[in-house]
Amino acid sequence: MRIASLSFRYGRRAPWVLSDAGLVLDPGDVVEVTGPNGTGKSTLLRLIAGLLRPVRGSVQDRPRVVGYAPERFPADQPFTVASYLRHMAAVRRVSTDAIGRWSERLGMDHLLGQRLPDLSKGSAHKVGLAQALLAEPGLLVLDEPFAGLDAATRAELPRIIGEIGARGGIVVVSDHQGDLRAFPGLRRCEVRDRAVRELEPAEEAGETALTVLEVAVDASRAADLADRLRAEGCTVNITGRTSAHVAGEAAG
Amino acid sequence: MISVLALARFRVAGYVASHRALQPLIGLLALLAVLYAGPIPAGQEIGATADSAAMLVPVLAWAARGLLDTEPDEQRSVALSALGPRELVGGLLAAFASLLALAAIAEAALLFRLAASPTLAVLLTGVWLHLLSATAGLALGALTSRPILPSPAVSTIALILGYLSMLVISLAGARWLTVPVMGWMRDAHHGELQANLPLLTVQSLLWPAVGLAAYTRLRRTRP
Repeated sequence: MRIASLSFRYGRRAPWVLSDAGLVLDPGDVVEVTGPNGTGKSTLLRLIAGLLRPVRGSVQDRPRVVGYAPERFPADQPFTVASYLRHMAAVRRVSTDAIGRWSERLGMDHLLGQRLPDLSKGSAHKVGLAQALLAEPGLLVLDEPFAGLDAATRAELPRIIGEIGARGGIVVVSDHQGDLRAFPGLRRCEVRDRAVRELEPAEEAGETALTVLEVAVDASRAADLADRLRAEGCTVNITGRTSAHVAGEAAG
Repeated sequence: MISVLALARFRVAGYVASHRALQPLIGLLALLAVLYAGPIPAGQEIGATADSAAMLVPVLAWAARGLLDTEPDEQRSVALSALGPRELVGGLLAAFASLLALAAIAEAALLFRLAASPTLAVLLTGVWLHLLSATAGLALGALTSRPILPSPAVSTIALILGYLSMLVISLAGARWLTVPVMGWMRDAHHGELQANLPLLTVQSLLWPAVGLAAYTRLRRTRP
């Protein structure tokens, strides 16, 4: 998929948001779009997803099935989570089995009976992610997908993104919190001054030195803590070396 | 097409479940109460049908606009990501289906208040006029929906002025310049409607077709 000399503004008299921007996305690419607030990240994502039409330039060879999760899920709709997802599955012509599968992975199967307007922000956000994932998209566009998610889903989402990349899908994510930084092979682009600039992976790695931290934790909580640390962008290995809990150690 | 129908079903379901569907329904019932306060004498069936179809246009436009505007903007983006430009067809189909339901209620009320039972030709002419009315309502409602006119005040004024211009221009006899709603009534009350129907149909579909083409064109840059 290729974005060529793309320019966009919201109206004839409005300022240009993007000007002569270009980007080539290959199958399997996972791209993080960064940049200061209000520079046009969401606009770029909408152009990539095909929700906006470029004023100049073009977006070529977009994969046929596009999944898009907006930054704020529109929860003001008179449906339950289950009926909303059933409607979306019908629109996308996928089996309703996909609803159960994705709600389980996103940790939202207990929400299926709830009405959309009653959901918390994080829960509504999960519904937005679920509808985008239903149809096995060839292009998945996620606008700030990690905002408001619980730790387990924050850890699960990079795995889901990895699977889509592994089967040749393109994933474009805008992310303020850097949840994908640890993602292997991540491409990073910055939107600034109306242009899209690809950041070198080394640019980031060069700035921070890695260090190893040893953490002792209750065996039962290990997996949960590892997920939370992975969500923070750490590389975590559970070595499984266990030692007896010594009560007197702290006193001694 | 299955996807488009599924989207239309989703939108009708959302419209019915929200309170928005009630507004034009109440408007319609009020209009019917005024129109059919007394029974319609024998021989005036066709005139009453034309009056009903002509007066229904603003109610139907209001309903079409209401249906298209029920969905939050971001949900329209989600639908657009799933269907691409066919999203627009889903919206128009859903709106037209809701207009058919309202037009059917109006027809039923009309038939209920007829003193004599109408001939089949009169009945079919009535159904046809209501279809023309629904098409005009659909075009006017779509052109005043939120993606085209984001301000609710501007959109309401545009809808009312749109209908008034239909009345005024067709009252002046310029049947090709608008949907000739006054022409429907005039011909019906003069007993010329059935003879003029083919030409009147062309005149009545011309501007809605132009309107819907403009809507499709405008939506390209107004998702």
